[in-house]
Amino acid sequence: MAEAKRKPRGPSLADRIDAAMKRTAAAAAERPDDTREVPRGRLAAHSRRDFLLWSAGVLATAATGWWMLPERAKRTWFPALNDKLDTLAARVGLTRMRREASLNRVLTFDDDVAEALYSKHRTVRTYDRPDPRPLRNNYHGRTPGPEILPAWRLKLSGLASGRTEQLAIGDITSRFPRRDMNTRLVCVEGWSHVVAWGGVRFADLLAAFPPAPGARWAAMRSDVSLNGRGEPEPYYVSIDLETARHPQALLATHHGGARLTLAHGAPLRLVAPMKLGLKNIKAITHIAYTAEEPADYWNERGYSRYDGL
Amino acid sequence: MSTSTVTPATARANARAAARAAARVARLARDAEPVRVASKHTLLVRLSHWIHVPLLVGLIVTGLAIYWAAPVFRHAPTPGNPRGDYLVDIGRALAPLMGGAPARSGAVDTRFWLYDRLSLGPAQLANALRLHWLFAYLYMLCGALYVVGLVRGGGWRALMPRVSDPAEALAMIRYYLGVVPHALARKPWPHPPIGGKYNALQRGAYFTMPLLGLLVVLSGWAMHHPATLPWLERLFVNYDAARIVHFACMAVLGAFMLPHVILVAADGWDTFRSMITGWSTRLKGTHHG
Repeated sequence: MAEAKRKPRGPSLADRIDAAMKRTAAAAAERPDDTREVPRGRLAAHSRRDFLLWSAGVLATAATGWWMLPERAKRTWFPALNDKLDTLAARVGLTRMRREASLNRVLTFDDDVAEALYSKHRTVRTYDRPDPRPLRNNYHGRTPGPEILPAWRLKLSGLASGRTEQLAIGDITSRFPRRDMNTRLVCVEGWSHVVAWGGVRFADLLAAFPPAPGARWAAMRSDVSLNGRGEPEPYYVSIDLETARHPQALLATHHGGARLTLAHGAPLRLVAPMKLGLKNIKAITHIAYTAEEPADYWNERGYSRYDGL
Repeated sequence: MSTSTVTPATARANARAAARAAARVARLARDAEPVRVASKHTLLVRLSHWIHVPLLVGLIVTGLAIYWAAPVFRHAPTPGNPRGDYLVDIGRALAPLMGGAPARSGAVDTRFWLYDRLSLGPAQLANALRLHWLFAYLYMLCGALYVVGLVRGGGWRALMPRVSDPAEALAMIRYYLGVVPHALARKPWPHPPIGGKYNALQRGAYFTMPLLGLLVVLSGWAMHHPATLPWLERLFVNYDAARIVHFACMAVLGAFMLPHVILVAADGWDTFRSMITGWSTRLKGTHHG
């Protein structure tokens, strides 16, 4: 029997890997200096030009940076120069008003990015169990007292029916199915907390009491909210209906398996885990559906108006 | 010239003119003289390098003002520090040392000493957030420009880690530790040989910084949009872990600036100039004598 004919074969796999690695190493290897001969005069002229441009850039950056600083920082950092520099900047049009307008445009841009990323079909992460620590009461002012509860009604307006509805808490809990979820409440300050929420879907309320055609926003308001001295100071947020229709946007009645406490928004609060905590308005008294974007308490104080997480 | 009478004043003027002409010729000759230069940094790399400086400073300053609102690193509440913020303690400890406030009395409030100096001060959250987003978008843009500059100019090759790096890094650490003692003793202390644009320590640092920049951006987005980018939040385990990663990246990026500036100053004018003009008269194999 003849000797088995060996087929001529290409390089083995190991050889090929070896060659590929060598090629990669050669491609990544540092190249010799890219040198060239330049007349000294031309080099000096280029150098002069580049240093002048660089200095102009440093000056422009320093001026812009100073203009953008908040008042408190300017007073702390440049106590002697603050007023003079402010006057000088105002002469060339760098006023405080213009700064606010520019920074608010940044917020709007960031909000547009957030809105582009949002989808009402994407569910927010849920957790097996809530954080064991008690949830922090972050009421901006004082916490409303129990006297708000007996007369509490949710007033709905801007409805397709043209009517204004008044719902007691029992009307809401008996009419719509209860939903429970453990989601993370994220505060604009940076802290967060996984909370066990229970309540009804905002979407169910919207289906039962449909907004007037053309409505795109819910203006949500709490008339029982108080300021730091305990005086009435309504709290209001704007919620886009895209968010309100999200299956995880709840009108919550329960927290940690029990009825909401006054500290956390009894008897009814918004829980929208795709929004910062400040949109999750407590003790809602009014929901009005509008075509135009309604006012938002914290937006009026320099924060985002979309607050998408 | 056939003038027979030359006054001393005219003679002096003529001599000055001749000297000026000679100097001009000499200058022209010197200017025309070719100099060999190496191209070190492309325009995009230089631009993005310098734009990074105010952006990084701005991000740290505004980031600390955001951190103030809900500190991550905390101890049990104490009087005057109800949130147990370690940065408040550090500020209080530093204030008397830096002459910022007399240690004797409670008249001067040193609670926010650190935040007032390294940051925008307390209760500046709305301002800090708006500025932070502005700087963050510019930072991402600038980082992208830097990468494009590195790729197009081929500069990335000088940053790639090498097998020889650990040994060379040890040699460099030994060298840096010995610089000052040897200078004081007026003894020669030769720089270890370097096989490229950077030494192993520089290569390690310049390779790591862009990666940290990427990590700081990713952890920032994980905190900014945990609900719309849940995969990113999970990459950092959870929201709180992303905050810690973001803080740690900030600390390292900020800490990098100090030795970077010191070493560039120590390395000399040519190194600083090359980041502005792009070229260097130090050619490979000839520098670091």
